[in-house]
Amino acid sequence: MPLLTAKNVVSGYGDMEVLHGVDLDVDEGEIVTIIGPNGAGKSTLMKTIFGLLKPMDGEVVFDEQDITGMPPDRIVRLGLAYVPQVENVFPTLTVHENLEMGAFILGGDLRERFERIYALFPALATRKKTRVGKMSGGERQMVAMGRALMLDPRLLMLDEPSAALAPNLTATIFDRISAINEEGVGILIVEQNAKESLKLSDRGCVMAAGLKCFEDSGPQLLANENIGRLYLGG
Amino acid sequence: MELFIGIINYLVFFGITAGTYAVLSLGLNLQWGYTGLFNIGVAGFYAIGAYTAALISGPPPDVWDGRLVGGFELPFLIGLLAAAAVSGFAAFLIGLPTLRLRADYLAIATIGIAETIRLILKNESWLTNGVWGLQQIPSPLYEPIYYGAKGFVDTHPELYPWVQQLILKAYNWFYLLLVVVVLVALYYFLKRLTRAPWGRVLKAIREDEDVAAMSGKNVFAYKLQALVLGAMIMGIGGALYAHYARFISPNTFKPLYATFIVWVMLILGGTGNNKGAILGAFVIWGTWAGTDFLTNYLPFTASQVAALRIIMIGIVLEAIILLRPQGLLPEIRRSRRLSRGEKKTGEAESPPP
Amino acid sequence: MDILARIPQLLVYGIVSGSILSLGGIGVSLTYSILGFSNFAHGDTMALGAYFALAFLSLLAGAGIPGQPFGSLSFGLDFVLSLVLAMIATSAVVVLLDRLLFRRLRLRKANRITLMISTIGIALVLRNVIQFFWGPQPHYYSAKIQLAIPIRQLGIRVKPDQVFIVSIAVILVTLLHCFLRYTKMGKAMRAASDNSTLAQVTGINTERVILWTWVIGASLAAAAGALTGIENKFITPDLGWQMLLSIFSAVILGGLGNPYGAIVGGMIVGISEEVSTAFISTGYKPAVAFVILIVMLLIRPTGLLGRRN
Repeated sequence: MPLLTAKNVVSGYGDMEVLHGVDLDVDEGEIVTIIGPNGAGKSTLMKTIFGLLKPMDGEVVFDEQDITGMPPDRIVRLGLAYVPQVENVFPTLTVHENLEMGAFILGGDLRERFERIYALFPALATRKKTRVGKMSGGERQMVAMGRALMLDPRLLMLDEPSAALAPNLTATIFDRISAINEEGVGILIVEQNAKESLKLSDRGCVMAAGLKCFEDSGPQLLANENIGRLYLGG
Repeated sequence: MELFIGIINYLVFFGITAGTYAVLSLGLNLQWGYTGLFNIGVAGFYAIGAYTAALISGPPPDVWDGRLVGGFELPFLIGLLAAAAVSGFAAFLIGLPTLRLRADYLAIATIGIAETIRLILKNESWLTNGVWGLQQIPSPLYEPIYYGAKGFVDTHPELYPWVQQLILKAYNWFYLLLVVVVLVALYYFLKRLTRAPWGRVLKAIREDEDVAAMSGKNVFAYKLQALVLGAMIMGIGGALYAHYARFISPNTFKPLYATFIVWVMLILGGTGNNKGAILGAFVIWGTWAGTDFLTNYLPFTASQVAALRIIMIGIVLEAIILLRPQGLLPEIRRSRRLSRGEKKTGEAESPPP
Repeated sequence: MDILARIPQLLVYGIVSGSILSLGGIGVSLTYSILGFSNFAHGDTMALGAYFALAFLSLLAGAGIPGQPFGSLSFGLDFVLSLVLAMIATSAVVVLLDRLLFRRLRLRKANRITLMISTIGIALVLRNVIQFFWGPQPHYYSAKIQLAIPIRQLGIRVKPDQVFIVSIAVILVTLLHCFLRYTKMGKAMRAASDNSTLAQVTGINTERVILWTWVIGASLAAAAGALTGIENKFITPDLGWQMLLSIFSAVILGGLGNPYGAIVGGMIVGISEEVSTAFISTGYKPAVAFVILIVMLLIRPTGLLGRRN
């Protein structure tokens, strides 16, 4: 039984339909990457799964619960976390405060959780009291991911984590993503920079024009010449 | 019979006031309903129109006045045109710096402007006679009509008393006719204007400024035109008021009676719909005037009843926003988007007020 | 020379007035940054607080709470209690209004302008509810005339009440600062103020944040209203609407959405208004705030302490 299932999801903005019936499965502990051109609806799919957009049709099931159209703050309690592409941190809050907000719904002693996150992102441990707005793109991305991990999600959704990052930082981010997965967290990634992402993915899906048009294992997709030409930027 | 005459006379008076408000409402509809300009300074343009008409057509300053200038005793029509022109010009000056602002900033700016206009009217006595206001504003054709009617009644003593009463009030009937003529003229003028390409650009601007700008339209120029034209209409409303009431002062144009009530009228009637604007004016003023008599029947003081009536207006506004934001007569939309081959023409409900 | 000599005293009035405007402005900024719209009913919320304080004052007198003034102040324990009660009562009213009206519009994703129009209606209703119960005539906080104490070195005279007003403002602002900085809800409010969508995504209970926003804003507004009563000695139902322009001017000057900006803006507007009377006729004092507003909107709409949103 997949952890996350999206079936025939139709969604969009206002009157404009962007997704025309998308199916997607993510198993527990998997890394799945969604690639495709701009405007394919990749981000829209994530937002719809996470309840930021109400689907016009179709259903989304997480951990055997129907979460179609559920508001985000309820979904996050079920073990699904989401890191948006932009504006994914609270700029006027410090690193530590950002993480604290990640665990808002929890009470009690959170020290252990903080330690785990700082262990995962050592670069942040020395800058706990820095305002995130002043940090570099790469560091901000780490804060964003750390924030999402505070609740121990079973599946983490990342929307273009390497966008607007310098290549060396990209390597770091994907390295961290691997590390997160090793702790048992499933990861669903939407990426333009498909090559790096597919390298560590179990599976990859190609989306175009609001539909999923192809799916294969990560390595196979990487090796696929057609896909390479069209979507992986050669 | 007496009662009947009383009611008729009251209705005429009611029609004049409601009609004047309808004019204001049409002006606001052009600015807000069509173009999306959040103008909370209606009172300002209204006041400028009224004062201009009064100063152009009114008597020169006398010994008891604080004034030094004004009072040219020019004919009504000139005063009317001047009122429109000066209001429009004021809108032009105001619009230049403020129209590029976002809606809430524009709202605050217009509140400030209306207040500043009121302060100027209060303080610059040399022009406006300050808080004592302008008196003896002449009503157009008053002498001929009144004395004509009186003469007629005097020479026909055989008429029933109630008929005589009605005829003596001929001036009010005339003024009502005047207001109706102006209102109808404005309505058709606006209808032509808004059906024309100009009007459609305004709506496009209201819907989505950026899209309108991308199609090459000078959004700012259109907004300015809408503001100015709307203000001119409000100025005409001011002139109509001044010539009927014959006395105006800065207090006449306090925000409650000169801005908020017009907004409620427009929102109730139907934002974006000129018929709605007129309907809203009559319904709200009807409700307002209709509750006036309650002052005698409720066990509250006069100021308490006044407060209750205003609370009622406020609740009406909130109720509309909650229950029927498009108003009584929703805006008629000619949908040009051919989305999935569906809507070609049709009526749709307008966005929130 | 004579004009310059008056300025220090005007500065004193300005600081008092500025403190009150700051308290009023913080609520507007918080509401804007967390709820996303400008609340034109905030001035009348202040008036409501002022009248509640007055009502509680007489209630407490009837209940036998001692009314002895503290030292040379005009009032004592009874006022402090009334102030707290007024803050609670005003918050209750505002939260009720949110439940009845704003929340419904919020759930409907009503657009910002609709919300602003609805606040104008609420402003109207609040003002007239006050007038219904208390009437349009002025109500007095204290009939006593307080003597100003001269401070010769600075060439000014200061009334003890004025010191009290500024102190209360400082205390409240400090409390707010600690709340925002050190408590979980305070941080959540700052987070929601940064990005309310992300706050939702994070799992922050945005409805609770909104509740706190209203409560804090209304409490500070109530305090501002009551303090106005002390400063002016009397209050009228129009009190709030009259101050609205100055408050918004202060908020926009400081940066719409930034509560600290509201404080800076409040002080600048308050001081400017008072000092201006040395140069222009008092009849135009309200216009000073307006001029500041227009200038800010034209040259730097994001305000001094700038804020996105």
